[in-house]
Amino acid sequence: MKRSLFGRLWPNVTAVVLFIGCVFPVYWMFATAFKPTGDIIAENPVWIPVDVTFEHFRTATEVEHFWTYVTNSLTVTVLAVAFSLIIALAGSFALARMRFKGRRGFIIGFMLAQMAPWEVMIIAMYMIVRDASMLNSLVPLTLFYTMMILPFTILTLRGFVAAVPKELEESAMVDGCTRVQAFRRIILPLLAPGLMSTSLFGFITAWNEFALVLVLNKEAEAKTLPLWLSSFQTQFGDDWGATMAASSLFAVPILILFVFLQRRAVSGLTAGAVKG
Amino acid sequence: MTVQTERPPSGPVDVRKTDDEGPGRPTPRAASRAGALVPYLLLLPACVATVLLLGWPLLKDVLLSFQNLNMAQLIQHVTEWNGIDNYKEVLTGEDFWRVTLRSILFTAVNVALTMVLGALVGLLLARLGRRMRFTLMMGLVLAWAMPVVAATTVYQWLFAQRFGVVNWTLDKLGWHSMADYSWTSSQMSTFFVVTVLIVWMSVPFVAINLYAATTTIPSELYEAAALDGAGSWRSFTTVTLPFLRPFLYATTFLEIIWIFKAFVQVYTFNQGGPDRLTEILPVYAYIEGVGNQHYGMGAAIAVLTILILLGLTAYYLRIVLKQEEDEL
Amino acid sequence: MKRKLIAAIGIAGMMVSIAACGGDSGDDKKAGADGWAGETLTVWVMDGSSPDQWQKDLAAEFEKKTKAKVKFEVQQWNGIQQKLTTALSEENPPDVFEIGNTQTPAYAKTGGLADLGDLKKEIGADWTESLNESSVYEGKQYAAPWYFANRVVLYNKKIWADAGIKETPKTRDEFYKALKTIGEKTDAEPIYLPGQNWYHFVGLVIGEGGELVKKEGDKYVSNLDDPKVAAAMETYKKFQALSKAPKDKDEATPQQGEVFAKGKTGAFIGMGWEAGIATKANPKIEKEIGYFTIPGATADKPEGVFLGGSNLAVAAGSKKQELAKEFLKLALSDKFEGRLAKLNGVIPNKESLQSNLEGNAPAEAAAPAAAVGGTTPLIPEWAAVENEPNPVKTYMTAVLNGKSPAEAAKQVEDEFNKRLAQQQ
Repeated sequence: MKRSLFGRLWPNVTAVVLFIGCVFPVYWMFATAFKPTGDIIAENPVWIPVDVTFEHFRTATEVEHFWTYVTNSLTVTVLAVAFSLIIALAGSFALARMRFKGRRGFIIGFMLAQMAPWEVMIIAMYMIVRDASMLNSLVPLTLFYTMMILPFTILTLRGFVAAVPKELEESAMVDGCTRVQAFRRIILPLLAPGLMSTSLFGFITAWNEFALVLVLNKEAEAKTLPLWLSSFQTQFGDDWGATMAASSLFAVPILILFVFLQRRAVSGLTAGAVKG
Repeated sequence: MTVQTERPPSGPVDVRKTDDEGPGRPTPRAASRAGALVPYLLLLPACVATVLLLGWPLLKDVLLSFQNLNMAQLIQHVTEWNGIDNYKEVLTGEDFWRVTLRSILFTAVNVALTMVLGALVGLLLARLGRRMRFTLMMGLVLAWAMPVVAATTVYQWLFAQRFGVVNWTLDKLGWHSMADYSWTSSQMSTFFVVTVLIVWMSVPFVAINLYAATTTIPSELYEAAALDGAGSWRSFTTVTLPFLRPFLYATTFLEIIWIFKAFVQVYTFNQGGPDRLTEILPVYAYIEGVGNQHYGMGAAIAVLTILILLGLTAYYLRIVLKQEEDEL
Repeated sequence: MKRKLIAAIGIAGMMVSIAACGGDSGDDKKAGADGWAGETLTVWVMDGSSPDQWQKDLAAEFEKKTKAKVKFEVQQWNGIQQKLTTALSEENPPDVFEIGNTQTPAYAKTGGLADLGDLKKEIGADWTESLNESSVYEGKQYAAPWYFANRVVLYNKKIWADAGIKETPKTRDEFYKALKTIGEKTDAEPIYLPGQNWYHFVGLVIGEGGELVKKEGDKYVSNLDDPKVAAAMETYKKFQALSKAPKDKDEATPQQGEVFAKGKTGAFIGMGWEAGIATKANPKIEKEIGYFTIPGATADKPEGVFLGGSNLAVAAGSKKQELAKEFLKLALSDKFEGRLAKLNGVIPNKESLQSNLEGNAPAEAAAPAAAVGGTTPLIPEWAAVENEPNPVKTYMTAVLNGKSPAEAAKQVEDEFNKRLAQQQ
């Protein structure tokens, strides 16, 4: 009796501890961003921001070109994710559904491509872009970001495509659909959660990238948000309020996207898997 | 470069040839031949992108690694070949090997921690009630979603020497020497913070994926195991674990790649310091190449870094090769 | 097919780069009747080095004179060499840029800087010889001296008064005693001195009569194991012990002026214009800031200082060479050079403009030490040493964390020598 109570209790207690561990850094970021400077550098931490201030957000966003950075980041990220999803959808369909010579080679190839350590190749990429007179432009960034997320997208989507029962597609084709129609009407809707959860990875990768944009785009008009965030350390020194406000602003779009998409993606994933 | 050599024989050319064989009315045979073209066509955009956007920089990097490329050469666009000098210098120096060993240990420790913790959390998720599971899942998603640049900044603040909440807590817990402790001051303390950060960011991916996988285990398998008189441990080792094995392999592979390449976390937190003691391979390549403006050398280190990463993942790639063979 | 595709792209890339090279020359119009109307000159200046108003007035006058616009882009010192190197290799480099005196020889050697020999003839006859030294490489003029400065002690008058100190110290021992007193009598931090303010350390080494590097044959090697360097480091360590500042950070992370602005710091060692950073962060601090010369071992000779400075250079790849030179002529004219000296309290590039410093408190505090100041060796090999992680900084942190100077010198020697010998 006692044992079973304990048996029921410990998973919940552990879960609560884990929850706090997961959330605290995120909470602390937001809390610091809203606290007046006096509370931030108090001898004893102020756990909950009582005097809420927006001053730090003002400092963080009053930086020249802030909105240009926002627009650039959004443009590059959304385009890169869209391109990679389209390219990957086609490729993953072939890899998951068709038999052909060299299929294994393709799969291994994409796995290798996934391992590319981009940070160490930066100077090579810089010289290519420089010699093509494409510096200070969003085009090479979008293309390279597309490539950074493409292998993962293909390989993950392949799993989702494979999880859609083949019978569904076949029965649709028996009903007179062409293969393309079957794909559009039957498979694509079932793939939606897969597309969403795969796109998350793309979003976070492209949104975060800063080593490449740092060397490629020196002009403010072509910079992105990660540069703005990393410049805070040098420009604002130990102004943790402004730094955390900037971090919060940077993280919020991704946090919202994850919380929104992840629920549907995970439930979709499990539902799809159970059905299969 | 490896990526390119691994490319399969170029499909479209072969197929087009067979396509030309059947002129006139398409016979059923010819139609199926034309159908054989489809997978290659579908893969064509991905391959073109890979060759152009990854293959080309990679090739360029390999070429640079055989050059003496410093400030002057870069500014004046001069190409000065110097054979294998860069490789000779890197491979005969002590630094590279020390950094390599450090990188491998760093990856091993972080991947092991992430996988063990992630798997445990994943299994815990499966045991929890609905509401609790939802709560923990939200927490995990928040940690997972934190962009790495923001997360690293937040960890710098958490572990700040002055007014950092971690130091304050340790002090209050009675560990007074930690009151003004500088976490960036030593190799181990820097690695400690970076490890906490990486594990914190990586566990959610493993846990959520694993949990999703456990929900797909057919309950009949457990029932059968129970009929055989298996206890909870036995049914875990005979049912759960074998079922999850492919998921575990795949996530371990991904984590090895991601953690090995953890450039931003290490570089942003302490720039590979103190005293270059926390440089892992990507950071080392960056500091020697871009930082020190010794670009040819940096390219050589980059090529070696790629080779080492290939070595680390070779085992998994072999498994995949076999697996795909079975499937076909 | 794939091979052809790659080849095609390769050729396309080559054509683009050839086109880029072709574009380098030409299109540099001489000043016609219409001047350079419609053109914009890009100028990189370092963070804090010239006041906004100075830039604005200069831009206005420049536009009046040439009809061309000036775009100032403020750069951070952190990572500047990496940024500058790539920028100089590009099609559109900054036309004019500020460059640190210790970094100038290395860039002169790369061929990235335009020859300014004719400019020197035209306007540089009375440039102070010692300040022009770093701009000359192998007999050619690659930059123009802009401004120079050395560090002083900036102190909080209120805190010093609270501690009962009436007179500013004249010797190193008095300075130390005063700081001790502040530590005992007030709750302020006596001095903010991070572990890696290496420019101050270079000053101490110069004060001891030492050098960071020595020549061995035709190569430069580390001289950190010299007892004079060790003595300088011991002095640094003694003062650093009074500070709570991190031992592994330099004076810019965080900006020491901002720390000082909080009003809880007795003093710091910095450039006169760093007072501006403090005032910007907290306007109320302005009236509390005082300055004095860094006291030396004896009262008759101030502490050695690092003579920091910046030159203005023109990118060799700039397509607006003439316009860039016009800009230099105006920026370095007596009017603007003099005003910069006055506003920032920096040493101007010619003696005749020194009068602008009269009555300027930080400049007057800095002046006595300038005579005993020096620089790091003005050799192209030096720039590599300043790339992070700078071995001199590593040495300092190692000593501050308990290593003996000799041990620390040995620890960083290889890295130091490697950088000095780095292939160029």
